Amino acid sequence: MILDLTATSVFVALFLLVTWIGFVAARWRKADLNLLHEWGLGGRRFGTVVTWFLLGGDLYTAYTFIAVPALVYGKGAIGFFAVPYTILIYPILYLIFPRLWAIAHERGHVTAADYVRDRFGSRMLALAVAVTGIVATMPYIALQLVGMEVVIGALGFPAGGFTGHLPLIIAFIVLAAFTYTSGLRAPALIAIVKDALIFVTVIAAIVIIPAKLGGYGVIFASVPQEKLTLAPPQGDSLGAYSAYATLALGSALALFLYPHAMTGILSSSSGNVIRRNAAMLAAYSFILGLIALLGYMAIAAGVDKDPAYAAGFTEYGANFAVPALFLASFPSWFVGVAFAAIAIGALVPAAIMSIACANLFTRNLYKEFVRPDCSAADEARVAKIVSLVVKIGAVVFILAIPQAFAIQLQLLGGIWIIQLLPPILLGLYTRSFNAAALLTGWGAGIAIGTYMAGTQGFTSSVYPLALFGVTVPGYAALYSVLINFLVAAALTPLFDLMARRGASPAAR
Amino acid sequence: MQAPVLVVRGTRAMTSKKANSRWLRYWPRLFLVIPLLAILWVPSYNKIEPALGGVPFFYWYQLAWILVGAAFVLLVYVIDTRITRVAETPPAGLDTTGAPGDIL
Repeated sequence: MILDLTATSVFVALFLLVTWIGFVAARWRKADLNLLHEWGLGGRRFGTVVTWFLLGGDLYTAYTFIAVPALVYGKGAIGFFAVPYTILIYPILYLIFPRLWAIAHERGHVTAADYVRDRFGSRMLALAVAVTGIVATMPYIALQLVGMEVVIGALGFPAGGFTGHLPLIIAFIVLAAFTYTSGLRAPALIAIVKDALIFVTVIAAIVIIPAKLGGYGVIFASVPQEKLTLAPPQGDSLGAYSAYATLALGSALALFLYPHAMTGILSSSSGNVIRRNAAMLAAYSFILGLIALLGYMAIAAGVDKDPAYAAGFTEYGANFAVPALFLASFPSWFVGVAFAAIAIGALVPAAIMSIACANLFTRNLYKEFVRPDCSAADEARVAKIVSLVVKIGAVVFILAIPQAFAIQLQLLGGIWIIQLLPPILLGLYTRSFNAAALLTGWGAGIAIGTYMAGTQGFTSSVYPLALFGVTVPGYAALYSVLINFLVAAALTPLFDLMARRGASPAAR
Repeated sequence: MQAPVLVVRGTRAMTSKKANSRWLRYWPRLFLVIPLLAILWVPSYNKIEPALGGVPFFYWYQLAWILVGAAFVLLVYVIDTRITRVAETPPAGLDTTGAPGDIL
């Protein structure tokens, strides 16, 4: 591929714009950024509109924009599970998280682990929450780079080697620098630009591309019929039906347990801000649904048969479908806008994720176990440094490790993060669960979930569970978190009894 | 919808009525179960016909549920803030005043 100069110029110009915004953000709603809740939570002052942009930029990532249509392009209807998933997250957000916000606000919690530590009085349970959060988020940050790498490659930069990775490295140095200076304020402001670009791109895509291809009827007619709907169950298996529903429900339950989602929620200024956003964020879900359909547009446009994009598909696989579709359908300058939207769409979540990891490390590892007496300024300084380390780690990760491995880790991350549901959810309503029982449940969930994914060779998280002679293929995260709940509930009376008799379980 | 409103506003903190008033205050949240059940019942929408403007049922139906789901959340929000006023009541001892820029 030859470097597309027009597209690259637009791309670089937009990138410079958000870099400038990232640094200016330090002076937005000026406060002492040497305090962790100011640097890492934006002072908990984001109102409805800023929270809408921040959470939208946070949850609908560049990887989503590349991977969801790629899945629809490659596998058809099952890839559309992202839509029921985004329908389910908002009732969950509405019911659970305003209450969590209120408790965290009152007690000054910065992370989910702070909250669990406080509710259940257990350092070990808090440690488990913190470590799970960090480990599940790291591959997620790395995958944001994949999204960025694909569009940089599609602009015509040579793939592979040091020069091939240079644009990516530069982008991440810039990201690291403004996150260090401005904290959560930077992604909050940049998210506004990112979302404007995404909305423009998607609206253009769903109007221009079908017009070029001859309408939606033609697009769906060109997709193989068996891809258009889920395969109906056969024999004694529920087949794709249970897989589709459990993938949607499990992913929805897992989403707000991720540290970056938690950071977005805790940075809002009131419970009602969260409630309003539970209704308003559906706008992004709708956009995501339309983006998913780009996968079919790519099939209809026949980009995989075009020799101009053969190299891209060889290098990036199905992830190249959307960039190829944009290259084939848009004038150069608008390709620059669309690709910038995706690349900046990687920066926003990557920044929030690294801040969330830094908050967890500082509050729940460093302050808890290393230096309990550290000052507020020390706390913020450590967090800033950790946010740098996390990003360097993500770059090394993606450059040194095969991409398939990062995707497998991210898949496992979903199974691991959902294991935080029992302590976080139960903690909102009752303290009567035993911390050691919750910790054992967490361990059981992680072990069984990982085993289930292992039986699928870590390439699929759908586990064929055999129940009374019926096979129910379902999301391993959902199955394992049920076991987690059951273990915690069953062991609580037992451990409480042991504690009363003086044989205190180790986790207390 | 009027009757529960009056009861809720008139309820004094009487122990015998407490469980009852909780139910009256939080019942609107049952609306949120509707999108949940609709979207998890996959066989109900796993078909191509009726198509809408060339878009198979499977796709336009789920896209439509994004909007319907949001409408349900909005409905519950309006009931919670305007009628039963559960959303305005902060947990005991919690001060949520003085949070600047609730909108921005």
